[in-house]
Amino acid sequence: MPSEKPTGNSTEDAVRNAPENPLSGVDLRQDRRQWLKTSATMIGASLLPATAIAGETAPQAEAKPAAAAASEGKSAARFFTPAQHALVEELTETIIPEDSHSGGAKAAKVADTIDQYLRETYDESDKAVWREGLRLIDLMSQHYNGKTFVNASPEERVAMLTVLSENSQLTELTEVKFFNSLKELTVGCYYTSKIGIHDDLQYKGNRVIQEYVGCDDQDAAKA
Amino acid sequence: MTAEQEIDFSKTYDAVIVGSGAAGGMAAHVLTSHGMKVLLLEAGKKLNIEQELRSMEWPYDNANRGSLPPDSHSLNFNEYTIRRPPYGPGFEKAKNLYSYIGDSDYTKNIVVKERENPYTGTNYAWVRARCLGGKTNIWGRLALRLSDYDFKAKDRDGYGENWPISYSDIQPYYDKVDLYLGITGVKENLDYLPDSIFQRPTKLNCAEVTLKQGVQKMGRTLTQYRAGVTSDGLKHNKYRSRCYGRGACERKGGCDIHAAFDSPTGLIYPAMDTGNLTLRPNSTVREVTVDPATGKASGVRFTDSQTMKDYHVKARVVILAASTLESARLMLLSKSRQYPNGIGNSSGHVGHNFCEHVMGPGVAGLAKDRVGKPSTLDDGRPGGFYLTRFRNLKEKHPKFIRGYGFEGGSGSTMFPRSAQAPGFGAAFKDEVRKKQGAFIGMGGFGEVLSRYENYVDLDPVVKDKWGVPALRFHYKFSDNEHKMCEDMKETAKEMFEEAGFEIVHVSDRILTEGWSIHELGTVRMGDDPKKSVLNQFEQSHDVKNLFVVDGSAFVNASCQNPTWTIMSLCWRSCDYLADEMKKGNL
Repeated sequence: MPSEKPTGNSTEDAVRNAPENPLSGVDLRQDRRQWLKTSATMIGASLLPATAIAGETAPQAEAKPAAAAASEGKSAARFFTPAQHALVEELTETIIPEDSHSGGAKAAKVADTIDQYLRETYDESDKAVWREGLRLIDLMSQHYNGKTFVNASPEERVAMLTVLSENSQLTELTEVKFFNSLKELTVGCYYTSKIGIHDDLQYKGNRVIQEYVGCDDQDAAKA
Repeated sequence: MTAEQEIDFSKTYDAVIVGSGAAGGMAAHVLTSHGMKVLLLEAGKKLNIEQELRSMEWPYDNANRGSLPPDSHSLNFNEYTIRRPPYGPGFEKAKNLYSYIGDSDYTKNIVVKERENPYTGTNYAWVRARCLGGKTNIWGRLALRLSDYDFKAKDRDGYGENWPISYSDIQPYYDKVDLYLGITGVKENLDYLPDSIFQRPTKLNCAEVTLKQGVQKMGRTLTQYRAGVTSDGLKHNKYRSRCYGRGACERKGGCDIHAAFDSPTGLIYPAMDTGNLTLRPNSTVREVTVDPATGKASGVRFTDSQTMKDYHVKARVVILAASTLESARLMLLSKSRQYPNGIGNSSGHVGHNFCEHVMGPGVAGLAKDRVGKPSTLDDGRPGGFYLTRFRNLKEKHPKFIRGYGFEGGSGSTMFPRSAQAPGFGAAFKDEVRKKQGAFIGMGGFGEVLSRYENYVDLDPVVKDKWGVPALRFHYKFSDNEHKMCEDMKETAKEMFEEAGFEIVHVSDRILTEGWSIHELGTVRMGDDPKKSVLNQFEQSHDVKNLFVVDGSAFVNASCQNPTWTIMSLCWRSCDYLADEMKKGNL
């Protein structure tokens, strides 16, 4: 996606982002055994069917949403099912929420841009990580919050994603790999959107000026 | 622009130029202005440059937000490190495969497709642009002069060879290039980095001024980016506008109003307007042909890049300007009874003494006093700053010879560095916003020593899409570069500390060979025909009507960016060429 890639998450900063997180410091490796064990019986699993993980193209991702899209009068097949799309909207909004300053990822339609990226990417392993990651997110949410991610409160969502953010170095775990990709794509899509560039960052470039103001004045540098 | 003419195959052109980048464009300009009838051959397409260079496009108006389409792939550092060329096998899933520069929608049509243009041997990030104007369409614009610290470097430290010229020989031609193409900058009166004839300079922003003041205390010099950009405009060139400080000049991809120099608008279109230039794109030259009776070059043989048809065109003088590596490749390909090792290669030096700049070490910092400040318009500038060389000028460094400089910048950019902040949520968003203009960074460019052992030759098996034998690399950084990079990292850090920045990241990773895209020196000049290929006028010692006017003629790499020197040398050589032709010596 966008050429700038976010690098490294530090535990310290993640904690600072969610100072009162009730899930801070949980053992992700330990806990995931439980929620993976229950995955066969959970509602979450039926809501988001477990699709192919390693490299297999999931027919549902092509067929089902195509029908859904057709009913809405839209063109190309979507990568996400409507349920997945709703989940991705909430995930991205948790990464970059609306605040008093500007709209968040939902307003910037980040989920749609991610959908397009995944639909067009040649890398089947990226696609598989996303399909499986979305399934695991709901299993995790059931485990920690007793409900799906979409039904969880904003605080519960933050608490759960913090578990993944704090463990971002455990990239052998699919849910962590998914979270890292979710963050990278959300950030990339948001800060290249109209809302991100103009409303949030108030970017001043891309306009003709007569003279660049700069800061050659030595006093101004200290001011 | 004057309409293109068809090649007249019955005619013998005064000169045929191979390649249309900085060197080929300059040769076309100088020779046509001397009234010579010139044919310019370019292997790549003539792009619709108005559509291709989109410096003011918003990411959200681009189908892929400015990125490469996700079905294509550009090679990254890890891949260049782990895999060896040819780059293609292992990437079958990607529809198109590009070098690392081809990682955006603004560059993908300018760089070559790797699979069509394979090379072999040691790891090398070889960035090639086969299109009218070549790499000048997307170059970094830093336009520096060399000095006698470079031309006479051997006199200072005993290593390598001196150039067959001094600064005083080339200085008038640097002036001509400055005036003809435009350059911005600030006079600093440094003997190791001579001033150009500058147009109005760009300005530093606040964090950059802080750094300038910091390094001044250490006796070092930070100056405004010396950009090959016209900031006042050029009355004699109707194809180029002056710089208006707009656009997203940080992103790779050229300048849509051509305030930044590119070869097509700066040199080739005006040359066509003289009526003396015939341009033929899609012409892959595969051999310089030789007149068996005289031993002189008789023209070139080329293949139409699209129809695959072969042609031969005759010329009184052959000028290679295909880039450092492609010109050497062409000479090695041009084997004949007279020149069994390739044309002009009696010395055996063609392909050798290959050098460039080493990159990687650098530093990123946070200017805390800039956090939370309103965003500013910084990335419409053609560049930030250049921190000039300070090693091995007066005192000898105990661990390495030669020097390095830093390129860097600060301020608000389209996709801010602050978006790399860790975490997520409300606090993350707030941090990205507040720090968006507060980061400052710089990276080093150091001289890679010219060594005979670093060379390219022809691969005996692998060929490109046009059936031309591929280049094989035998090229590695040496101990001197590794030690220099150690020092680069340390001094970068110490200067940021002196300026009071919070150090965010120190990089000690050396980027893959080739990363600087400053490959130089495979067909070097010199006074001794046994140790060099060209004389001081970039004329072959062996074949009087063969000239090689690109970066391959360099005797060493210096640490300064080469484009301005390539063009100045080329202008000097072409003046000589035209004069010799008038005298009947060619």
